[in-house]
Amino acid sequence: MSKPILTLEELSKTFDRLTAVDKIDLQMQKGEILGFLGPNGAGKTTTIKMIAGLLQPSSGAISICGHDMASEAKRCRELTGYIPDRPFLYEKLTGAEYLSFISSLYPPPQGKTCGEQGESYLKLFDLHGWRNNLIESYSHGMRQKLIMTSIFMLDQPLIVVDEPMIGLDPKSARIVKELFKSKAESGTTIFLSTHSMEIAEELCHRVCIIREGRIIAGGSVDSLKAQAKHGAANLEDLFLQLTGAFELQEVVAALRQR
Amino acid sequence: MRLYLPFLRTAINRFFATRARIKLLVLGLLGTLICAALYLLTYKSVSYFHSQSELGIILSMKIFQMAWITIFAMLIFSSMIAGVSTLYLSHDNEIIVAAPVTLEELFRMRMFTTFLNTSWMMLLFSLPIFGAFGVVFSAGPLYWPLLAAAVPATAFTASGSAMLFVIVLVYLFPARRTKDIIVYLSICFGVFLYLIFRLMRPEDLVNPEKYGQFVEYMSAISNPAGFWLPASWTSNMLSSYLLDRDIDFLLVGLILLTPPVLLFCGEFLMARFFASGFSKSQESFGGQHRFKEVGWGRSRLLWVFRKESISFLRDSKEWSQFFMIGALVIVYLYNFKVLPLERTFGSAYVANLIAFGNIGLSGFLAAALAARFVYPSIGGEGGAFYLIRTSPMSAARFFFYKYLFYLIPFTLLIIVLVSVSNHFLQIEGPMWWISLFCALLICWTVVALALGFGAIFADYHAENRSTAMGPGSVFYFFCAISYMLVVLFSGVSPAYRLIRAWLRSGGMPLSDALLIFFWVIAVIGLSAVVMTLIFRRGIGALTAR
Repeated sequence: MSKPILTLEELSKTFDRLTAVDKIDLQMQKGEILGFLGPNGAGKTTTIKMIAGLLQPSSGAISICGHDMASEAKRCRELTGYIPDRPFLYEKLTGAEYLSFISSLYPPPQGKTCGEQGESYLKLFDLHGWRNNLIESYSHGMRQKLIMTSIFMLDQPLIVVDEPMIGLDPKSARIVKELFKSKAESGTTIFLSTHSMEIAEELCHRVCIIREGRIIAGGSVDSLKAQAKHGAANLEDLFLQLTGAFELQEVVAALRQR
Repeated sequence: MRLYLPFLRTAINRFFATRARIKLLVLGLLGTLICAALYLLTYKSVSYFHSQSELGIILSMKIFQMAWITIFAMLIFSSMIAGVSTLYLSHDNEIIVAAPVTLEELFRMRMFTTFLNTSWMMLLFSLPIFGAFGVVFSAGPLYWPLLAAAVPATAFTASGSAMLFVIVLVYLFPARRTKDIIVYLSICFGVFLYLIFRLMRPEDLVNPEKYGQFVEYMSAISNPAGFWLPASWTSNMLSSYLLDRDIDFLLVGLILLTPPVLLFCGEFLMARFFASGFSKSQESFGGQHRFKEVGWGRSRLLWVFRKESISFLRDSKEWSQFFMIGALVIVYLYNFKVLPLERTFGSAYVANLIAFGNIGLSGFLAAALAARFVYPSIGGEGGAFYLIRTSPMSAARFFFYKYLFYLIPFTLLIIVLVSVSNHFLQIEGPMWWISLFCALLICWTVVALALGFGAIFADYHAENRSTAMGPGSVFYFFCAISYMLVVLFSGVSPAYRLIRAWLRSGGMPLSDALLIFFWVIAVIGLSAVVMTLIFRRGIGALTAR
C-alpha cells in the first residue's frame, strides 16, 4: 500500500470543558475522496481547521504526505489547499489580483503555471469576464467559485473543503462535482465536509460520520448501508439512524399533531 | 513582498478608482488645510514663547517634549489594538496562516501594515508641528533630515513595542475570548497613560511657587524627560540640535537602531509564541455562556434600544473604548481642578471666560466621541441592515430611535463634564446655565450630524464598527467643528457683556439680556436648521438603500 496522504492519529481538541474532537484516527490514500458527515456542532469544522493548520490540536498528530504538522507546518501547508465554508476575500482586490496573490504564497504547480491554470478555471466557472472587477461586486456564488479557482489552480496533493456547494448555481455545482472527480482521478486527495447526503453518495469513495467529536461510522457507502441495523435504503437514512433518527421521528410526529 | 500585495493593491484600488479621484482630491485639499492650520497655530504659539526670554524658550521645549511623549503614547495604544486585530483576529488569517508563509514573514507584514495604518496620520500631521519649531528656532540644515528620520523611526518604535507586547500578552494570558485580550490591553494602557501623565506633571509648568527657588523651578522644567522612553530620545535629540546645534550621536543611534532590533525581537517572539496564541484566539468563537431569557412583548423603541446596547456591550472590541473615555474624562476634569485660579488677577473673569471656552472643549469631545460611536452605528448594522429595510418600521423611525439612543449617554456625559468643571471653576450665575445650555445644544447637534453623515456614507461591508469610518467621517468632523465655531464666535460678545455686567453688579441691563436672548434664539434656530437638514439627508440615504 502506498504512503497515506493524510493521517490523523488520536486527534483531539478541547475548548474549556467541551471536547469538540475526541481522539480521531483516520487515513486517506492518494486520489481518495472522503466525505466527512455529521450534524451541526459535531466537530467537522474544528477537524478541518486543524488539518489546515489554523487550530492547534490539544493532543494527537496530523501528518500530510508523511510530514508532521507540528514540526513541519510550512511543508504541510504547501501540500494542502483549504476551501473554507465562508470564504474571506479582499473586497478591494480584483479577482485576477486575488489569484495572483494566492499563487505567490504557494509553490508553483508542476507542468502548467498558476496563471494558465487560473485562467482555465475562471473560464470554466464563467468568471473570466469578471476577473478584472473588484471582488466587492461579486455575488456569493461568484466568490465561492473564485476561492475554488484559487485552490484548484495550485494542484496540491490534498484539498480540504468545508461545505463546497453553498451558494453555487446548478451548473457550477455540476462543474465542481466533475472537477472533484477528475482531480481525484488524477491523484488529488479530497477531504470534503458536507451536509449534503447526495453529494457524499455521488462523489465520495468513503464516508466518515462524526458525532460529538467521535467517528461513529466509517467506510464505503455500500458497506455502511450493509452495516445499518434496519437496512437503510440510502445514505440519508443511514445518517439519520446514526445521528438521531429516533429523535427525528418524535419531532415529525409532534409536528403532524399540530 | 508577496504578502504586501493585498495591502498595496487595496490601497491603490481604493484611492485611485475613477470614482474616488474627486474624493481623493477633496481629502488632499482638506489634509493640506489642516496641515497649514497646524503649522500656523504651532508657529504662532512657539514664536510667542520664543520671544519671552530664556523661560519662554525652555517652556516651548517642554511643549515640544510633551508633544512627542503624547504622540508616542497614543501610537502605542492604537498599535496595540490594531496589533491584536491584524495578528489574531483578521479575517484574512484563514488564507494567510493556512498558506506556507513563515511566521517571520507574517510578522514583518503585519508589523509594517500596522505601522502604516496607525502612524500615517502622525507622520502627516506631526511634520507641520515640528517643522514650525524648526522655523521659529531657525534650525540649521541638519534639522530637517534629522526630523524626517526621527518621525518614522519613533513611530515604528511605538508600533514595534506594541506588537511585541501583544504577542507576549496573548501568549501569557490564555485569552479564550477576544474581549479578555482587549481588556488586558486597555488596563495596561490606562496604567501607562496615567504614568506618562504623572511623569510630565504639566500643572507644575505654570506654578513656579511650588518650587523653593526660581532656580529649582527652572531646573525642573528644563530637565529632559525620562531616558527610558524612546519618545524622549527623539525629543531630546531634536531639542538639543534646535538649541545648541549639537547632534547627540548616541541618541541618533538609539533612535535608528531600535526599529530593526524590535523587528528582530518580534520575529523571535512570533516564532515561539504566535501559533499557540492564534489557536487560542479562535477558541473564543465557541463561547459557552448562556444569557438569560427575555420577554417578547417589548415595544419597538425598547427593542431598538436593547439591540443597540447589547450589540455594543457584547462586542468586546468596543470595551477598550470605555477605558479610553474614562481616562479622557478624568484628564479633562483634572485639568480644571489644577487650574491656578487663585493666583490669577481677576480670577472670576478668567474663570467665566474659561467656562465659556469649555463649551467648545466639551463640544469637541462630544464631536470626537460621536465620530467614534455614533457615526459608524448605521454602517455597523452591516449585512443585517436588510432586516430593518424589509421590516414595516420606516427608515425615519429607525433613524430617530437611533438618535434617541445615543442622545441619552451623550447628554449625561456633557452634563457631568460641564457641571463638574463649572464647580471646579467656581462658576455661579448665568454663565453656569449658558455653558450648560450651549454645551448640550452643541452635543445634540453633533450627535445628529454624526448619525446623518454616518447614514449618508455608511459602509455596510466594514468588518466592524471601528473600521466603518470612511472618508465621510472627515466631512462630518469638518462640519461639526465649523458649526461649533459659528456658535462660539457668535456668542463671544454677548457672553463677555453678560459676564462683565454680572460680575460688576450681579445683574444684567436690559440691552445685554436682550442680546443674550437673541443669541440664544439664533443658536437654537441654527441648530434646528442643521438638524433638520441632516435628518432629511440621513433618512433619505437610508430609504435609498
